[in-house]
Amino acid sequence: MSSPPTSHERPAFARRSLGLYAALLLLVLGFALAAPAFRSPENLLLVLRQVSVNGILAVGMTFVVLTAGIDLSVGSLLAIAGLASALFAQLEPSPVSVALALGSPLVIGLLGGGLNGVLVAFSRVSPLIVTLGTLTAYRGFAVWYRVNPVYDLSGWYRELGQLELGLVPLPVLVFFATAAAAGLVLSRTRFGRHVYAVGGNEAAARAAGIAVERVKLAAYGISGFCAGLAALVLTARLGAAQSVAGQGFELQAIAAVVVGGASLFGGRGRIRDTVAGTLLIGVLFNGLVLTNVPSPIQQMVIGGIIIGAVWLDGVVQGRER
Amino acid sequence: MTEQHAPPIVRLRGVRKSFGATVAVQSIDLELRAGEVHAWVGENGAGKSTLARILGGLHGDYRGEIQLAGRALRLSAPAVAVRAGIALVHQELSLVPELSVAENVFLGREPRGRFPGSVDFGAMRQRAAALLAELGVELRAGEKLARLSPGERQLVEIAKGLAREARVLILDEPTSSLSKREAERLLARVRELRERGLALVYVSHRIEEIFSVADRISVLRDGRLVATRAVGEWDEGSLLRALVGRELARPAERPRAVRGEAILRTEELGGDGFEGVSLSLHRGELLGLAGLAGAGRSSLLRALFGLAPAKRGRVLLRGVPLRSARPADALRAGIAMVPEDRFHEGLIPERSLRENVALASLRELSRGPFIDGTREREAVAAVARRVGLERSSSETAVRRLSGGNQQKVVLARALLREPQILLLDEPTRGIDVGAKAEIHARLLELAREGTAVLLASSDLPELLALCDRILVLRGGRVVAELSREAASEERVLAAAASLPSERAAVA
Repeated sequence: MSSPPTSHERPAFARRSLGLYAALLLLVLGFALAAPAFRSPENLLLVLRQVSVNGILAVGMTFVVLTAGIDLSVGSLLAIAGLASALFAQLEPSPVSVALALGSPLVIGLLGGGLNGVLVAFSRVSPLIVTLGTLTAYRGFAVWYRVNPVYDLSGWYRELGQLELGLVPLPVLVFFATAAAAGLVLSRTRFGRHVYAVGGNEAAARAAGIAVERVKLAAYGISGFCAGLAALVLTARLGAAQSVAGQGFELQAIAAVVVGGASLFGGRGRIRDTVAGTLLIGVLFNGLVLTNVPSPIQQMVIGGIIIGAVWLDGVVQGRER
Repeated sequence: MTEQHAPPIVRLRGVRKSFGATVAVQSIDLELRAGEVHAWVGENGAGKSTLARILGGLHGDYRGEIQLAGRALRLSAPAVAVRAGIALVHQELSLVPELSVAENVFLGREPRGRFPGSVDFGAMRQRAAALLAELGVELRAGEKLARLSPGERQLVEIAKGLAREARVLILDEPTSSLSKREAERLLARVRELRERGLALVYVSHRIEEIFSVADRISVLRDGRLVATRAVGEWDEGSLLRALVGRELARPAERPRAVRGEAILRTEELGGDGFEGVSLSLHRGELLGLAGLAGAGRSSLLRALFGLAPAKRGRVLLRGVPLRSARPADALRAGIAMVPEDRFHEGLIPERSLRENVALASLRELSRGPFIDGTREREAVAAVARRVGLERSSSETAVRRLSGGNQQKVVLARALLREPQILLLDEPTRGIDVGAKAEIHARLLELAREGTAVLLASSDLPELLALCDRILVLRGGRVVAELSREAASEERVLAAAASLPSERAAVA
């Protein structure tokens, strides 16, 4: 028992996600063959840059989905956080304004997510309804607060958005660092175990002494925090913020999580699979563009992929039972 | 009525149903006749409900043969059973609370109206009203179901079966949630339906009811049919013996545990399902809780563990009042529990054995927020060896384990806490004999080491073999306390079912 698990003992989900990585690899190879432009290093970095905002949101979303919840409010929250960050980034650079430009979106995200968490954990209203409500309310707040776009941001802020370390753009690094930290939290910490337990069987988690409400609150807080981080990345990259930013982002993030094999009923999913799901959708979009597939067709393909991935997952799981 | 030689309406031959590795019923040969009430009795998990659900078409993957009026019929889905004239009224009612009585009665077979797709609500209400009158039920057909009492809902469910021209009506624990008066009214309806020539199956825990309504009684035990006889050929003593299933011998003596000081006491504890419970539990003692289903055993344990906190009275732990409003409090105070339903409140099915066992002890296995992987693996391996789980990989998802091993996982989780008080609710229900023996051995060992064990079980031989004392609950109250020497199956059953003990003890 104390020996490390051998391959045939690996949990079912490890085998299951192999299909996901195989699909991703096939897509990359396929597009590389079909479209020479696809395989240039510049394009591959572009794909990464394009997916980083959605990837950060999807990482946060994974925590919520693992608790058998959902967070529809992240797009709206991203808009508020982006506006705040941009307004501070318009000021003369000073230690205070820099700290506020960088810190405010994170704090706002944490607060907005925390409010979701309090409502979900203590009101017994379903997460879908709670975050549908805050999706609308947060968006309303953003528009009420600032109808017009915010631009003319300080140079340092816009440079940050274009910064590359070595070859890798900063947004991509932020995405990967977030994913790495989240993966560590979920797989190595007590809190991570609690997240899986609450989503896997809430009654059993409670009976094992886990503070279920606190775990849920934290999961929504993390999702909100990731929305704030995504806002910072997006605003710095675009050099502007507006109240209508991020519309529909919540659905893209959910799509990435689900394509990654997480169960919307909770308790099943991993960060690295969410990252793979994000990449798969990103590669697909980019590759379809480069192979001159018209945009409406792209959407139909992506839609089909989302359903197909979950269907396949069910088929594989059914066979294992 | 008992020895009619009318051909059976329904005949079962070699019927078998298993859930994964667990066999729920097997080798069932049974006949249901018109104008007869056939009672099925058995302890929890004996297979009565599974059999009822097979006849209702809810377990389409059973094996064996079922004949209806001499013709073989595959009850593959509920719709097939309904068409065949078999109606199942089971514990989880299949009624829609937001619809009216009439709409429920005719659910899925609404009388057609004048326009395609429309419903003739007038006709529906009239026919429902007629049906209810026939049943002698004073209910308005237009009443919303949600406003009815549980007993009235049972009657609506029966009316629904009759509206489908059922020839076979299966009542699974129909009186379990009814008041005494409601139960009596229901029994009167059952007798009327028998006069009308229906074949009725009556599943119940209540011995008195069975003797008052049944024409024939079949006893199920461990998924097998052990006897079918006319009601006149049974008495309470022989029925109880058949239920329990063996000559009621004393279990083998075991080394006596040294009983230590009282560690847990309750004073007039009351809550949902139990009342006025005062008990004391000693270190090194195995205290049993016996009683029929619904007697309050589970509720009491759940209250002690903080899963459903008590409303009245108090709990003293080493003389100090214990406020256990949540399981986390109880765990911290040194109390661990193996809950009744290992799926509902025990296992995280998708996660590994290791994670499931460690779940309640993560703080002790962590350094800061991080889990110490080495310590976790070692601790889990050690406790897994103790409960006999060493042959399962610690990385297997627990949903893939057998029922017995799943139960050991739940036990291992509790033991990893090294509790001073261990509460167990039906720890061996539905698991194989080997796993059961291992769990028994572990409980005896724990008691020898000084743990106070409180064991609720509907498996009487188990309680008699393990426990130093047995408390019998009935209707939420402790009605008897039996020492190991005084305890016997007859005495426990007599107290649990409130039979006159002289009669039950004829053995």
